[in-house]
Amino acid sequence: MKRPSELRLHCPAQSRYVPHIRHALAAFLEALQFDRSLRDDVTTAAGEALANVVEHAYARSPGTKVRDVQLLARLDSGGRLCVDVSDRGEFIRRKPLPGRGFGLRIIRAIARRMSIDTSRGTCVSMTFEVPSLSKR
Amino acid sequence: MNQSDSIKTLRLSGELEISRKDEIRATLRRGGDDRAILLDLSEVTYADSVALTELLRFCVDAQRSEVPVALVVQTPQFARIVQYAGLANAFRTFDDRDAAFTYLAESVES
Repeated sequence: MKRPSELRLHCPAQSRYVPHIRHALAAFLEALQFDRSLRDDVTTAAGEALANVVEHAYARSPGTKVRDVQLLARLDSGGRLCVDVSDRGEFIRRKPLPGRGFGLRIIRAIARRMSIDTSRGTCVSMTFEVPSLSKR
Repeated sequence: MNQSDSIKTLRLSGELEISRKDEIRATLRRGGDDRAILLDLSEVTYADSVALTELLRFCVDAQRSEVPVALVVQTPQFARIVQYAGLANAFRTFDDRDAAFTYLAESVES
C-alpha cells in the first residue's frame, strides 16, 4: 500500500483543537511506520509550536478576523520529515523569563533543525531525522 | 497524625496540555496545613510547556513554603519531555510511588 506523503491541517487557533491536530499528526506518522518514540517526539515538538500559536500569535492583534493555524507535515527528498506550523498573527520577541519559554527549548531538543519565519505571520519550520525510513 | 495523613496526594493523568490549563491549575492547589505533597503523574502520557509551567510554579511555591513535593513519573514520553525542557533538576521525580512516599515521609520527619 502506498504511504501518505503529506498531511495538511487547517483550523481555528483555539486550544481545544490542539490535541486533535497532534493526534492526526501521530496517525500520519504511524501510517509512515515511524516508531513510537519518534512519533511521540515529533508530536511533542509540533504540540509546542501549536500551543505557542494559541497562546501568543493573536494576542497583540485583536482586530484580526481570521485566527487560524495550519500544520503541514511531509517527507522531503532526503527522507527527512518536515513539519511547518504557521499562523497569521504576530511573533512576539521577548526576553526569556524564569519558569517560561520551555516550548522552543523542547522543539530545539527534538528537531534536527528549527527556523522561524516572521515575514507573513509566523511559520515555525521543524526538520526531523528519520533514521530507518530508507530501509522500509 | 501518622505519616500518610501528613502527605497529601494530588493526581493528574492523560495528556496535560493547553486545553486543560484551568483544570491543571485547579488540581494543583495546596491546603494551608499540607506538610508534604505527592504529585502522582504516573498516568500522564504527555505534557506541553503550558502544563510544565503550571507544574513548575506549583513546585516553586511549595518549596518557598518549605513543603516538599515529589513527582511520580512513569511513562517514558513524559520523562523525556521533562528532560527536553531542561527541568530534570527542577523537580524531585521518582519512577516508583513507594520511593516517592518514603522520600516525603523522611522529609516530614526531619
